[in-house]
This record gives sequence, structure tokens and C-alpha cells, in this order.
Amino acid sequence: MADNDDYYYGEGIMDPLGTAPEVTYNWVDITKDFFENIKDLELGELLHDGHLFGLFEAMSAIEMMDPKMDAGMACNRGNPKPLNFQQAVECGKLKIDDLEPSELIGIIDATMACVVSWLEGHSLAQTVFTNLYLHQPHLIKNKSLKAYCIAVYKLLDCIRDCINKAQVFEEEDFLPMSYGYRLGSSPQYGNYDTSLDLSEQKFIAMLREQEEELNKKAKISDSEMAEAWTGLAARIRFTRMFYQALQLITKRDGVSGADCVALLNGCSEMMKVIIRTSAKGTQPVENSDAPNPMGFEPMMNQRLLPPTFPRYTRIKARPEALQYFDEMVTRLRHAWKITSCTNFHTALDFFMEFSRQRACILSRSALQLLYLSPSPAAMTTMGPGPAHRIFMDILRDSIKSFVNPPALAKLPPGTTPPAREFIDKFLSRCVRPFAAFLQVCGHNRARQRDKLAMLLDEFAGLEEEAESVDAVISATMGMPARACFGTWVLYHVLRVMIAYLLSGLELELYSVHEYHYIFWYLYEFLYGWLVSALGRAEGLSGEAKRSEKKSGSRKMKKRARPSAKEGLMCQVLQSMCGGYYKALVAFKLQGKIRQPQCEFDNEAVRYKHRFAPLAVLTPPQVHYHEFCEMTRPLQYENPIILYLGGCKHFQQARNLLETITTPDQEVLDLLKVAKTNFIVLKLLADGHKSDSSTPPDFDFSVHRHFPLIKLV
Amino acid sequence: MKSAQAEDLKVEELDGKAKLRKWLNMNFRIEMTDGRVLIGVFLCTDRDANVILGACSEYSKNSDGEPQEPRVLGLVMVPGRHIVSIQIDDTTPPQKYYYDE
Repeated sequence: MADNDDYYYGEGIMDPLGTAPEVTYNWVDITKDFFENIKDLELGELLHDGHLFGLFEAMSAIEMMDPKMDAGMACNRGNPKPLNFQQAVECGKLKIDDLEPSELIGIIDATMACVVSWLEGHSLAQTVFTNLYLHQPHLIKNKSLKAYCIAVYKLLDCIRDCINKAQVFEEEDFLPMSYGYRLGSSPQYGNYDTSLDLSEQKFIAMLREQEEELNKKAKISDSEMAEAWTGLAARIRFTRMFYQALQLITKRDGVSGADCVALLNGCSEMMKVIIRTSAKGTQPVENSDAPNPMGFEPMMNQRLLPPTFPRYTRIKARPEALQYFDEMVTRLRHAWKITSCTNFHTALDFFMEFSRQRACILSRSALQLLYLSPSPAAMTTMGPGPAHRIFMDILRDSIKSFVNPPALAKLPPGTTPPAREFIDKFLSRCVRPFAAFLQVCGHNRARQRDKLAMLLDEFAGLEEEAESVDAVISATMGMPARACFGTWVLYHVLRVMIAYLLSGLELELYSVHEYHYIFWYLYEFLYGWLVSALGRAEGLSGEAKRSEKKSGSRKMKKRARPSAKEGLMCQVLQSMCGGYYKALVAFKLQGKIRQPQCEFDNEAVRYKHRFAPLAVLTPPQVHYHEFCEMTRPLQYENPIILYLGGCKHFQQARNLLETITTPDQEVLDLLKVAKTNFIVLKLLADGHKSDSSTPPDFDFSVHRHFPLIKLV
Repeated sequence: MKSAQAEDLKVEELDGKAKLRKWLNMNFRIEMTDGRVLIGVFLCTDRDANVILGACSEYSKNSDGEPQEPRVLGLVMVPGRHIVSIQIDDTTPPQKYYYDE
């Protein structure tokens, strides 16, 4: 960014403060010489000091007089100069009393559109704070609008608090800066007057009062007007309930969940009315930058922005913005369901599934806070405490239900203190990586990949520790070694590895000529290992159960094992990867896949790069030379045989999928892909287009990781 | 001193280029077609008089002609066609700043 250390002050007239500048200039005009001298330069030649300045620096310069980059240009300074609240009120451009319901609806809906634009990553200064009413809400005479404006302040603060706590945003998701506007308290810019601060209850009461007032007006008006008043009442009610629900999610201090659900359901109801009545409000003037005819100055805060800021923010169109709010409430209602996920496993699946739907930043953040208080992000940084212990218990339960190690289940506490202490230490070490795993799931899809790679580093240390815990426990309890804790950690490591490789497909990072070793790795190793890890866990917990039975343990909880479906899905995905791998090798043999020019190509380097993050852990990384050795025989295979092999894999995947009695969307999508690819490979095996070298198309429209193979 | 070096090194360099090179890393004051003034360190130019200034500040006046607070812009490129005038700071070397006139 701009280096603010060297600050240049101008001479007398230029200096607004009149302070004596240390630097004085002696300006000599060289315009004529300069324009004469540059004629000696060649076309395209740059004259610069090669040591200090190069083309790279030149690229990052702001171009003056370019409307998109130059904030100081006349067209960007707002012409005429934007009026502030007082000026606008004085010249009658801003009504603060006697507003028509249609005007109020217009202002509120435009503000909602601004909030949505903010939540999509724009700055507050260029969205919500272009609303002049928000600059001086206490001077507004209309009570409904005043209450609404104050509520917006509180709401913005609450949203920001929620997102900040969860720490799952990046600069492209959300800008937390508030540019000197005091959120949550007295919303005056500049002079701060504490006497205008409103307590929580007082301002909620204010909103309720307005709600009643407006509903009363609706009752005594004729039907046309009544609809507008009802719409307005719904907007006030929505704002209040949305704020209260979000407050409950963010604070989470033991308040009953039923309240939050009821509030969110109410929000959904109100959104229906809001969307229905949005046409009753004043609409933005066509081709105008302002989201509403009255009350908005898009250029209001231009001077608050840094010089390299995007000059201009297009506010989301109103119907889309209202839709966004409606869907956001639905997402929050869905996120609430995490509170009934008692098992860490189901919770982790829920997090991954939620992320898959590419939820907005607010609902992603809310999910984090709803599962762990204060938040998984806080868990990764803070030391032992009550929250730490709660998460340790969650992890302990997860291990219990996954492998049921005798050291955790059997004896009453205190019998084997050294082992117990050892386990507690291990669990305490687990808190950070596992909380980080949840946090990673909250990030946007594109950012997850790098974070997954970093997560693998964290897990590497955990694996060693798990092994030594297993060893110590079997020694102290006098039993043969069982890799209980090791299996549990390994299972999560494999899931992270798979997620990492698959994310490359989703983000379209791999070239088609790289697909074969990606799918090979997944098929030969990762999914295979995952299946066996699940199998081993099943075996271990079964064993523990049997021994419990033998020793006459009283409680024989029957655990519905969710891993049965999980194991099945692993097998399905493994088969699919096998199918792709074989098909890709056959395509390559038939010259159907474009290969890089050999002088630019080094498969070993690419392979190493693709799998680099997998190198730090057990299971050991499979190296390139091993890949070459293992796959060499296939190079001499008949493509037809390979197509048939791939066919068989997709067939197998399909058969397995069809055994699932209540298929969800994911299963249905995979089924469609497996069926289609089965047919395509069958055709290829029959010699269809065998002499064509047109590359096949990989279509990710049905499933983000597993493409349809298409022949063109 | 610096210019002498530069000239020694590039004997064949054209006169104009040598002069431009002498001005590198010195303070420029550029007035633009819209009346704004930029002050910054001259870093780079080309045949179209596009000029790159480093550590640049912008001095503008509002519609009433009152000077406004300068804005720090950092690195900027001024297209040659928008340049009205260029001035160079001909103050003697830094140590002399401390002599008061």
C-alpha cells in the first residue's frame, strides 16, 4: 500500500492548516524541456531508474484521470457536492416528518438492499451509510423511521459482532470497517453524545410500539392503504425479530433455543409480507445510482475511502436483496439444527454439508457460534478453560462412539490414573486441530483448500501422540496393543486429505491431463484407506462391546452405527474414482487427451506439487516413482479392456447407490453420474469413436467433484 | 555529481534522455488538465509523457476555489495528455534545508 511515511506538504497556499512545513520547494518550470526531451525516447521505451523501479512497480500505480481509479476526479467527487443530513433537510430534499407509507417502505427496502450489498463484501461507507437518515437518526421526527434507523445501527453491530467472533471471513467475504460511524451505540458521526444511547430494552420497546401503531393504522385505513401500513409494520417487526434472533445466536448465554427458532420462523413469515408489499414502496429512479429517490447519497462517504478503493458500489437490486434476506433466514433456521447434533461426527458432516451449499457469510458465521461457544476460532487460540473442557468432552464422546476404547469406557474413574491423565492430555492437544477443522469448514470454498493443507500439518503432530497414547494404555492396562486413538485420528486425516484433493476438482485447478493421477490416488489409496479405517474402527468397538458383555457390564447401549452408510459411500466413491482413472488412461492411450508440449512438461514436478501437502503424515505419501512403477503395466493394456474395467467400476458404484433406501440429493446426483458414465464407457468399449482424437468433455454441472464424461 | 556519472556511463545516450535521467528521483509538481496539482517523486516516463510519480499527494481546490486537504495517493501514473505543466524542485541538497533564508 501507499507508503505514508514520506509525506509531502505543499507550499503555503496548498497547506490547509497553515502550519509551517519543514520542506520548502523552489519550483522551476520544465514543461517545455520535458516535452522536448521525451521525443528522444523510442516508442514503448521506459525511462526509469532500473535499480529502484521496474515494470512491476509501474503496474501498481493508480492511473490519474481514469474514472475507475481516480477518486479525486470531478466525476467521482460528486457534482454537485453531496448534501449532508442538515443541508438536505434545510433545502427540503429530505423529509423527516409526514412521510407517506410508500416513502417509508422505499427507504427501508433500499436500506435492506444496502445491508445485503455490505454482506456481499462491500464497504459500509459505500452501502448502508449512503443513507442520510442513518447519519442523524435522533433528529428524525417520524417515529417509525427513527426507530427503524436506530435498529439498523444495532443490527449492523450485531452482524459484525457475529462475523468477527466466528472468524471465517476473508477480505473478499466481508469488510468489518465502520469508517468512524459508531455502531451499536449512539449513531452520530463525530461528536458523540452518550445521553442519546438507548438501552437494549428501550429500543426493543420502541420498535414494538411502532409495530402496534402501524397495525392500528392499517385497521382504520381503506384496503389499498391498509396493505401499505401492514407492509410497514411487517418491516419493523422483521427488523426487531431478526435482531433479537441474531443477538441470541451471538451471545448464546444459556437462553432457550425455542425462542430463537420462534423468532426466525417469525422472520420468515414477515419476509413473505415484505416481498408481497415491496411494490408499494417508492422505487429507485431508472439509471440512478441511488437505491431510492429520497435519502441516499451514493457519493456521501467518498472522502473516507483510501485512494485505491473501488470507486463505485452497485447496490443490489431490491427484489434480489429481499430474496437474499428471505433465504438468509432460511439458512439460519437450518444452521440452528446443528444444536441437536450431539455427536462430533454428525456435526462435522453437517458443517461440510452446510459449506457445500455455499452459504452466505452471516449464516456460515452463525453456524460456527451455534455449535461451539464462544466459537471454534476462539477454541484454537485460547488456553484451558470451561469451553476448552466442553470441547474435550465432545471429542471424548466422539472417540467413544467411534472406536470405544476400553480405556475410556470401562473402569470407574480413578482406577488407572496415569492412563486417564495421558488421555486427557491427548484430548487437550486435539482441541486446537479439531476446532480448526470446524473453522476451515466455515470459510468460503475457494479459501478452504489452502487451509486444509495447513490443517494436515497440525494433524501430523497429533498422529504421533495418538500412537504413544495407544502404546501407553495397552501397557498400563496389560492388554495387547490396539490402535484406538490412532485409528480415530487417521480417519480424520484421511478425510482432510480427500477433501483437499477433491477441492482441486471443484475449483478447476487441475488440467485434464492431470486427472489420471488425482483419481488414481483417490482410488488406490485414500478411499481404500478410509474404508479400512472405518472397518478397523468397527472391529475395535465391536471387540470392546463383546468384552463388556463378557464382564457383565450393565449398560449395553445399542449404537446405531452411522458408519455403515459412510462405509458404503466410501466404496461408491472409490469405485467412481477407479472408473475415471481407467477411462483416463484409455483416453490417453488412444491419444484423446491433449498433452503438454514435452519441452514444457515435467509430470514428476507436477505430481510432486499436487500431492505436496500430503507428505507430512502417515499414511505416507505415495511418490512419483512408485506411481510410475505401479501404473506401468496399464500402459500396455488394450484400451478396450480399460474401458470395460471403468464400466465395471461405475456399474458397481451404481449398484451400491441403489441399495440406499432414502437417497438424498447427493446420492441422486452421484447415481446420475455413475449411470451416464457407465453408458459412455460401454459405448467406448464397443469401439465408438475409437479413431477420433477429439478430447472428451468433463462436465461438472451435475456433481462438483465427479464429472459426466461426454463425447463430442 | 550523479549526472556526471550518468553521462560518463552512457556517452552515446541522446541528449534528451540524459536530461530526463538527471531528473529521476527528484520532486515534480504536475498540474493536470482539471486543475489539480500532484507533487511526488519522478520515477518513470515514456515517449507519450506518461509520468509515474512515487509518494504522491494530490492538492485540489473545491468549487469556491478554497484549497482542500491534500490526499496521499502513493504511486500514480499521470497520462501525458492530461499534463498541463511540470515543475521541478530546484532546492539545493537536503543538508541546506537547515539554513534559513
